[in-house]
Amino acid sequence: MRPFTHYDAHAVEEALTLLKRYNGRAVLNAGGTDLLSALKGEYLLHYPEAIINIKTIPDLAYIREDGDMLRIGALARLSDVVNSPLLRKRYNALAEAAYSVATPQVRNMATLGGNLCQDIRCWYYRYPRHIGGPIGCLRKGNKACLAATGDNRYHAIMGGKGCFAVCPSDTAVALAALNGRIKIVGTRGERSVPVTDFFHPLGNELKRGEMVREIEVPRITGMVRQTFLKFTLRRPVDFAIVSVASVIAVPRGRCREARIALGAVGPAPVRATAAEEWLKGKPISEATAAEAATAALTGARPLRMNSYKVEIAKTLIKRALTS
Amino acid sequence: MHGQAIEKNNMLHLTVNGKRYALEQGSRSDQVAPEHTLAYTLRETLGLTGTKVSCDEGACGACTVIMDGKTILSCMTLTIECDGNSITTIEGLSDPTTKKLDPLQQAFIDHTAFQCGFCTPGMIMSAKALLRENPAPTEEEVKEALAGNFCRCISHYHVVKAVMAASVKSR
Repeated sequence: MRPFTHYDAHAVEEALTLLKRYNGRAVLNAGGTDLLSALKGEYLLHYPEAIINIKTIPDLAYIREDGDMLRIGALARLSDVVNSPLLRKRYNALAEAAYSVATPQVRNMATLGGNLCQDIRCWYYRYPRHIGGPIGCLRKGNKACLAATGDNRYHAIMGGKGCFAVCPSDTAVALAALNGRIKIVGTRGERSVPVTDFFHPLGNELKRGEMVREIEVPRITGMVRQTFLKFTLRRPVDFAIVSVASVIAVPRGRCREARIALGAVGPAPVRATAAEEWLKGKPISEATAAEAATAALTGARPLRMNSYKVEIAKTLIKRALTS
Repeated sequence: MHGQAIEKNNMLHLTVNGKRYALEQGSRSDQVAPEHTLAYTLRETLGLTGTKVSCDEGACGACTVIMDGKTILSCMTLTIECDGNSITTIEGLSDPTTKKLDPLQQAFIDHTAFQCGFCTPGMIMSAKALLRENPAPTEEEVKEALAGNFCRCISHYHVVKAVMAASVKSR
């Protein structure tokens, strides 16, 4: 890796001050599993001048219910999310999504905040320097998206706009189904956005000098069934080709509420609102699950090489609803 | 604001295999630079070449070491962020005085649980961390714990047998 200046931040305010001082030339490091790929591969057009370690910020790795809200600090490790008795009991979709990420070693290092902020996996975008990169693309501020006309088998089937990379975060998909929000903090204060609005076609909601501080989920009460399913070629390591998270309440055999989120189909997790509405009041069966799956994918606009993802998404929705 | 945002120029303290190291920060070969990974420091600065680097991007698990009880990827860890941490590498498993191998290492030998051997140190460190937390794992738990260690010679079947043999159930 090329040299950089390194800081340990001991408070959120200190990290924000450093970000401000470097004005776009510094990056935050939590688990490091994504950032170090960028530093080694040099696939971005600009190499950071400074790395700000935020693992040294105390008390930012909590997982707790606080009144009617579940709160998770940005520095909670994915392995902590997987093993939390609270999450396994009441927010199982999130625990399962975290468990589906990468490998045991990566889950011991990676944080929930980092999983949400990780960079996209597009192979044109990530083309490393040592084999001829970096490749300029729309997301890097120049030219057009190469995946739009090139090999786009793993790219977006809905919601792509200019850039067709998909949101690679598994936990974002579970959080979308759980109505999660991401709390962002900057030197000018704090704001919170729904997880589905955090991801943009060309980046994310974080503005220069901001960081993710907390993830909030409205408290789950009563009987709900939660599922997270992820289709990959290999079970460990691989990123999702398609994933689905569902949170459904079916008291007395009829669906009271269904929340279905699709992952790796677009730049953000996509809530299947048409399917959710359609399911209300209906019994859950093979037939209604199939109808819901069709409704969820009506808006899909696959690219040249990825219409297969539509079928996988439908199958995962059916399985999630009937499991 | 807590603390001062000053560039580090102090010493870096690591405990590796029970031995304490105080490393200066800098660019000499006996020093640690901010861009050095833990894998680099272990191999090039401390001479502990048992830890291997294969993919160098966090996918293969060859560089796995145990840090404060948990397996981590030393190729994706900045040494400068390990100040005060305790690290166990493959060199730290045998008995420091008698040099007798750890029962897990012996089980790998007894079951010929390797072919080229390049992934073996990482495999053993993942298995070691599992057995410390769960001394009597099921075969499924062994496979889960080793899901982040790739072997291109397909030694996995023998590896699972070796780890099962080293667990307390088999003793």
